[in-house]
Amino acid sequence: MQKKLLAVVIIAIVAVAAVVVGWQLTQSSPSPEARAIKIGLVACYEKAEGQDMDRAAKMAVQEINDAGGIWVEEWNTKVDIDLVIVDTEDDSMDKSVGPVTRAVLEDGVDLLIGGYTSSGTLANQVVAIDNRVPYIITGASSSLVTRRGPQGNYGGLPEDNQLRITDAEGMSYMFHYCTTTADYSKTVVKFFAETMKPLLDSKYEFDSSRNLRLAILYRDDAFGKGVLADSKAVIASENLPIDVVVERSYPATAINFQTDLTVVKDANPDAVYVVDFIAGTAEIIKQGLRDVNLNTVYIAVECCEDPQFYTLLGEYGTRQLLESKFAPYAGPPFYLSTVETYVADYQTKYNTLPGMMGADTYDAFYIAKAAIEAAGTVDKAAVRDAIESCSIDQLLILTDSGKIEFSTGTNYHEIAPITFIEQLVWNEAAGECRASIVYPDTAPGIDPFKQSDFVLPEGYTPGSP
Amino acid sequence: MSGLIETLLWGVANGCIYILLATGLNIIFGVMKLVNFAHGQLLMIGAYVAFVATTALGLNAYLSILVAMGTMALIGVILERLTFRRVLGTDKLNEIFVSLGLIYVFENAAVILWGNKWKQIPNPLQGEGILLGEILIGYDRLFSILVVVTILAALFLLLKKTKIGLAMRATSQRSETSMLMGVNIEKIYVLTFALGAALAGAAGALYGILLPFDPSIGALPTIKAFAIIMLGGLGSIPGAIIGGLLYGIAETLAIYFLGGIWQDAIAFALLIIVLVIRPTGLFGEKGE
Repeated sequence: MQKKLLAVVIIAIVAVAAVVVGWQLTQSSPSPEARAIKIGLVACYEKAEGQDMDRAAKMAVQEINDAGGIWVEEWNTKVDIDLVIVDTEDDSMDKSVGPVTRAVLEDGVDLLIGGYTSSGTLANQVVAIDNRVPYIITGASSSLVTRRGPQGNYGGLPEDNQLRITDAEGMSYMFHYCTTTADYSKTVVKFFAETMKPLLDSKYEFDSSRNLRLAILYRDDAFGKGVLADSKAVIASENLPIDVVVERSYPATAINFQTDLTVVKDANPDAVYVVDFIAGTAEIIKQGLRDVNLNTVYIAVECCEDPQFYTLLGEYGTRQLLESKFAPYAGPPFYLSTVETYVADYQTKYNTLPGMMGADTYDAFYIAKAAIEAAGTVDKAAVRDAIESCSIDQLLILTDSGKIEFSTGTNYHEIAPITFIEQLVWNEAAGECRASIVYPDTAPGIDPFKQSDFVLPEGYTPGSP
Repeated sequence: MSGLIETLLWGVANGCIYILLATGLNIIFGVMKLVNFAHGQLLMIGAYVAFVATTALGLNAYLSILVAMGTMALIGVILERLTFRRVLGTDKLNEIFVSLGLIYVFENAAVILWGNKWKQIPNPLQGEGILLGEILIGYDRLFSILVVVTILAALFLLLKKTKIGLAMRATSQRSETSMLMGVNIEKIYVLTFALGAALAGAAGALYGILLPFDPSIGALPTIKAFAIIMLGGLGSIPGAIIGGLLYGIAETLAIYFLGGIWQDAIAFALLIIVLVIRPTGLFGEKGE
């Protein structure tokens, strides 16, 4: 009897154990639906900026995949990222739409990251809007990429505006992880008002009522026009002591700027704000100093924060300025430990310094990872909601709060980055310029942030009194 | 005022490049009656040849013009023999499509060989010049003008004082009669194409000395060169010279007064006005 009872107990224990083990096995086994997450990198691969984005994306993907991948709760497993190349060639409006369409409709990407020019992105984002694909836009500094919707938070473009998107829900899939033209125009003009004007007044004994004379030379496209409009708007709204003495536009295809620079010289500016990408900006500064004898201060915008810009400028970059939000040439030591690590790893891997467009892209992959893990699914609407509510520590790009958060309210789906001004100084050992942060004095959590004082270039000629 | 004078100087310097390009195109058209839409790509290849001669061989930038001319003449011979000769005299569309195809061949080859980043020929005179008041007259501009004048003088001597020049002129006027008079038309065609390509090579080298370039720079200069020879008159070399200068100056004045986005519109408007008033161009003759 006892033996029988013992046998029953053993059988019962084995049965229960089998059920428990079986249940556990069922619980931990990945879903058969599990697959790699497809993230499309929208980049202009023929440009230096696109190649930097590509390198940064590959670095982020390798880091994430090496660490096991992205946890997707509904699949009950970690999965790798499958990087899908979306090459927009020269990023012109007509060439940028096709590759994004292929990525969305044929490759079936779960999410898009990237974008380069404002005009190219305004064209290709329509595919993502129509197909409800979350798009973390890391290029395209025109704020219209998130503000071209019909009303309220998505923009409020007038009905007759050709760029207006009436699909508000589709617009909600757009996220701008990039500085907008308004963000950096504000930094640039405030630098001129707060730092350069007092220096000129004191050095050249100008009357304090004299406004700083600013020339704006810009590409005739959405990017250039956006910077011009935003700069003038900030000067007016903040009543800054700056006169825009000349504003000149040129075709985006231009390579000869001598006549435009001659007109700028005729206006006797104290400084020239150059709104172009790497090659154009470097050429304008070189032609201005070398061919037109316009010995002034030139300031470039952050998309020029790239090794190619420093190479192209050579010694002509000495004491010229660069607005940026990521400063790989201003260290070591760097202002953030994450930047320190990224720059070192990038240099080891690619034998070159990184650029700014890549830094945005690198961060965006970690935003995507955090969002998918928070959503627990790759369902696009859920991922969109997760990006919208994400709050992760800043990585390579400095933010106001130290967190990456896409604001709600009037700046819907945009971040609040810290932008700053660097001054380039020739470095004989490196054979190219190196940078030093000259504005502002402090940044959130970093005091001092400024690395040196702004110095006028040798041979600088101020504008007319 | 100083800005306007400086602008006129830019216009003359740019016009010099257009003169060389348009003259080459004009000679090819005048003698062979061939419309070569890939002529601007010969300029582009010429710029790269001079760039390689300067950077890889360490040659002086201005000596590299000769290398570019020689290399482009050789490329011109090969092109004429392998492509245009086979379609010359057949349907005009054949010639046009061959030249359109060559545009892609040259541009893609340049991207493969040299990449698509902007390049510029290192120039020892870069940044050097005479400062007259506020006007900087760059030595590189002055030297470029001198180079163009020298090349045009040599071309004039070739066309007017040599037997080959005589044969080329005769062929341009009456090719069949020239053949009956003993002129080897095929030889003249190949020499003409080589000469036109050499002039495009010189234009490319000068372009690369003065401005940055990439594989896409050939497209617009071709259209401008066609506009210039129509402005100056088809087949007229003095017309190409005056037309090139006028075009260069009109272009820069348009930028100066109206802004960069108007440069092509104003220059082409000038062409339309001239053609409306004088359909044969400034120096063209009826029947051309």
